[in-house]
Amino acid sequence: MAEPAYTVASDSENTGEEKSSSSPSLPEIAVGIDIGTSQCSIAVWNGSQVHILRNTRNQKLIKSFVTFKDEVPAGGVSNQLAHEQEMLTGAAVFNMKRLIGRVDTDPVVHASKSLPFLVQTLDIGVRPFIAALVNNAWRSTTPEEVLAIFLVELRLMAEAQLKRAVRNVVLTVPVSFSRFQLTRIERACAMAGLHVLRLMPEPTAVALLYAQQQQMTSHDNMGSGSERVAVIFNMGAGYCDVAVTATAGGVSQIKALAGSAVGGEDILQNTMRHIAPRPDKEGSGSLRVATQDAIHRLSKQDSVQIEVDFGDGDAVSKVLDRSEFEEVNKNVFEECERLVVQCLRDAKVDVDDLDDVIMVGGCSYIPKVRAIVSNVCKKEEIYKEVNPLEAAVRGAALEGAVTSGIHDPFGSLDLLTIQATALAVGVRANGNKFVPVIPRNTMVPARRDLFFTTVHDDQKEALIVVYEGEGEGVGENHLLGYFKIVGIPAAAKGVPEINVCMDIDASNALRVFAAVLMPGSKSPVVPVVEVRMPTVDDGHGWCAQALSAKFGSALDLVTLQRK
Amino acid sequence: MNRARKLVASISTLSTRRRTYSPSSSTFRTISIINSQTHHSSRRESFQPSSSAKPLCLRFSGREFSSGSSDTTSSSVCWNCGSSSEKAAFLFCDSCRSIQPIDDSVDYFQIFDLEKKYELDAGSLEGKYKDWQKKLHPDLVHNKSQKERDYAADQSAKVTEAYRTLTKRLSRAMYIMKLNGKNVNEEETITDPTLLMEIMELRETISEANDSKELDQIRSQVQEKLKQWSDSFVEAFESHRFDEAVKCIQRMTYYERACEEIVKKL
Repeated sequence: MAEPAYTVASDSENTGEEKSSSSPSLPEIAVGIDIGTSQCSIAVWNGSQVHILRNTRNQKLIKSFVTFKDEVPAGGVSNQLAHEQEMLTGAAVFNMKRLIGRVDTDPVVHASKSLPFLVQTLDIGVRPFIAALVNNAWRSTTPEEVLAIFLVELRLMAEAQLKRAVRNVVLTVPVSFSRFQLTRIERACAMAGLHVLRLMPEPTAVALLYAQQQQMTSHDNMGSGSERVAVIFNMGAGYCDVAVTATAGGVSQIKALAGSAVGGEDILQNTMRHIAPRPDKEGSGSLRVATQDAIHRLSKQDSVQIEVDFGDGDAVSKVLDRSEFEEVNKNVFEECERLVVQCLRDAKVDVDDLDDVIMVGGCSYIPKVRAIVSNVCKKEEIYKEVNPLEAAVRGAALEGAVTSGIHDPFGSLDLLTIQATALAVGVRANGNKFVPVIPRNTMVPARRDLFFTTVHDDQKEALIVVYEGEGEGVGENHLLGYFKIVGIPAAAKGVPEINVCMDIDASNALRVFAAVLMPGSKSPVVPVVEVRMPTVDDGHGWCAQALSAKFGSALDLVTLQRK
Repeated sequence: MNRARKLVASISTLSTRRRTYSPSSSTFRTISIINSQTHHSSRRESFQPSSSAKPLCLRFSGREFSSGSSDTTSSSVCWNCGSSSEKAAFLFCDSCRSIQPIDDSVDYFQIFDLEKKYELDAGSLEGKYKDWQKKLHPDLVHNKSQKERDYAADQSAKVTEAYRTLTKRLSRAMYIMKLNGKNVNEEETITDPTLLMEIMELRETISEANDSKELDQIRSQVQEKLKQWSDSFVEAFESHRFDEAVKCIQRMTYYERACEEIVKKL
């Protein structure tokens, strides 16, 4: 909502391109972009419906990669690869959505080390070193840069087709992204000259499309806008997300969200490991291509023949059947099941009350995944009115039109998403415990507060360390930032009342307030501190340790026990 | 001996838990940090516009709602077009479609056009809640003035709070008591030994239950209890036996927590 506040990630970083000048009088319709781990798409409301743009090769789904082989890096929008293998020579960087905003101790980063480009980790909690192979030299880059190059191409493509400047966007993001990762996405957009209106968790974009379809159907039947409850399961190459939405009259209210960094890439790697004759062949490009193809075919066949020639005399010839494939990927499928179960429970929805089960994303074609979801939700039939590969971008384009203030005479844009928080936000207190202030799955906008107090007599200062996540200990959560409150009046421990209030506005911006009160006083004794979070930068994994090394428990807080 | 120690340990965890997660108290206690100095966050400043003149203050008691007296709402006048409305809850002007500033005398029941009664059909709330949000949600007022966007943020937050409060039996009970001038202190310690014993045993059964079937069974028992106490609350409340009503609320609180515990384990 607050436009200027949302433009740039950090003042120390300059925005790569000048913002395009658009006419201020006409509301610019924001485009919707679905940045997938493996494929991207871009769509816009064309005045009567959502239109998905195509690239010069007439593709709606554009491979997400950037090659660095020439002087100028080129992304998958304009660049035509001679063949699939070319992506695997090391010159192309892809899977950026799996790497963005992660530090080199993250298991997801480690899982990316078998990719053909360079992902180097020092395991010290800084960003990994990522590089593409150009003329036998490693050219370093960052996930933000790769994403920005790709987004610039998408923007130029859209501008050429729409014959206008494109600046405002609604992007879809995985549910499990931390707020720090979201700032990295915004950063990449800023570098590409794009202004983020909304970052929408992917299944909530699908939920909006569903809300629109339901509204249209109920209009046709002249029925009342009765509420429909749906589970949305979205699984792509990088992430698996689940949402429960309650829809009525074009309003999609997100009841619960659940997500995790598990996806087709994990299935691919598990399967490659299973097929590879020796561990040194696991990262082979030909194996990757052959395995990917086999997995796709397994969605339609019970068993497939896999032939890989490694070109050095080694070869693999193997029959892979479904049950073997499912056994190899047991961990992935179990995680899918856990997410659906958790989401339903958080939404406090009984499976018998479910009206629809919607499955989208590339992995939703895998029979085992369909079986799991349909089994947990006790629904034989999966909702058929959406295209699994286009639903998210269509929803994002709808949201783009709605948040741009566009009205449709036929009521097609009479829509609203009431979001919920995907992860809890809270502070460190009671030792090394994470104390949520706003729990997960709270309706947004949200504002909650909690009272804390000092742990030492005459403690004059306290650290407010803000985390996001679900773990009970702070270490399992994402650090978002920290600040110190000073000037606490001398008093016995447990007496001062420190109020920590968190506010998430409609555009998902988080503000943390801290105030010091003494019993009986109605107003704070020192000025209230307000901090927009996250404030952390790369390498933030260190900060919490550094704070703990420097201050120990001297500036700790505990939750206030009211007497 | 052993049992007694266990009892003490459980009570202390129970009470800390109660304090750590006290959703209803924290939602009632709508903190407002008002800073009259200039800053970019209009959302915050406007959270409680009525007190924006004060230099810097925190209020913890939340808005106080006068009981009864606001039933006979006099007609309100739209700040924008001047047309008047007879509606109890004047959040949105039907003639010029502009959003109105928060009126603290409007209570949550009025927002949903409901009688001030504890018993209500929770299903009917959802529809009205969504209707309001379609008029008030901050996402949908981009083209309006800053002033009106602030009103939208306030009103939308209030409607959300109203919805949250009225949907759940427990928070609804506490709210309706509050409207009648009775603040329920849910932190109050339980002194009734029979109830204490029952809670202990319930907690033990929950912690010892292993499979989901067993837990489901306990849950339906607890929910039955919850329903009973909710009924007793209605009785006590309607006959103005407020002390008894408070007791009912306390019991509902405990069963509600037990339910949460079960769901966590499921």
